[in-house]
Amino acid sequence: MEKKQSELCFEILRRFHKAGILDKLILIGSWCVYFYKDYFTGIPYIDQITLKTRDIDFLIDSPSRIRRNVNIPELLEDLGFVTIYKGSKGYIKLDHPDLILEFLVPEKGKGTDKPIPLPRLGMNAVALRFLSLLTVNIIKIKVEDFNVSLPHPANFALHKLIIFQRRFKEEKALKDRNTAVEILKALVNKGEIAIVRQVFNSMLPKWQKRVIKGLEEIKEKEILNILSASTAR
Amino acid sequence: MRGVIKGVLAEELENSLRMEKEYEEALSKLLKGCLAVRKIRGREYYYLVKRIDKKVKYIYKGKISEEERKEYEKAKILRAKYRKLLSQVKKQIRFLRSSLRGKEAI
Repeated sequence: MEKKQSELCFEILRRFHKAGILDKLILIGSWCVYFYKDYFTGIPYIDQITLKTRDIDFLIDSPSRIRRNVNIPELLEDLGFVTIYKGSKGYIKLDHPDLILEFLVPEKGKGTDKPIPLPRLGMNAVALRFLSLLTVNIIKIKVEDFNVSLPHPANFALHKLIIFQRRFKEEKALKDRNTAVEILKALVNKGEIAIVRQVFNSMLPKWQKRVIKGLEEIKEKEILNILSASTAR
Repeated sequence: MRGVIKGVLAEELENSLRMEKEYEEALSKLLKGCLAVRKIRGREYYYLVKRIDKKVKYIYKGKISEEERKEYEKAKILRAKYRKLLSQVKKQIRFLRSSLRGKEAI
């Protein structure tokens, strides 16, 4: 299944690239960790132990910047994706036995529990808090003849440290927490402590407190020391 | 608390059960039957081959538009695809249930 799943993921990326929308999308979620392996070349890395689910999430920073009309359900129909409307609000997901595709946008202002329409893509998106942290520091990973945008691993990990505390399901929280700590440790091994500190310092004080609270909860002293040193400066 | 792996498997089982329903629904919504062509004196006449109860029936359609022909062709391709994926989903459900020891409520 693993190989089939990766092939399907690549095919989706290829089609998005061909349709001219891939550069407007940021790949987030557990699939990010899969693509980070290129970023951590030569560094002991966590891809082997990170559980990839079937969810593949794309973040759109500014939906209004998408100028092309690309009907995504139609674009992926022949691959066997079926469109479903989740919950009473009608969030659109595309289901396939190997992957479940969903779009997300950063929540702005007071937020809403309604889906954000993406009329040019024939989809809608879920607005979630804290996602703006994943849009500010993007890295590009080369895949075949195109680039995939991902949040910098430091942003990804710090975001996970915030959201694991908000998870309803404890096992999901544990998964987020473990992934965050392993990625931060991989960054430390890569000698990118400065970037971790820089990202942490750029966060809102409220968010910083949440990160610290999360690390204290799990007694992760090594990372706590790194971040505490950055706040003391 | 369930372990991380068990939690992920339980979530995947929920997803697969949902997908099973979706593919069954998608299959039921597709155009029924396949087109069969007969050439009589150089002209093409179409029949709709359809299972009605236990019998396979040939329903005369005569000449049909290119658009209608394409719709049936697309339905045929999607039906094969959805059936294959439905069988994959059913296998996943069996695997996930046995991994979670099936009898446990999740």
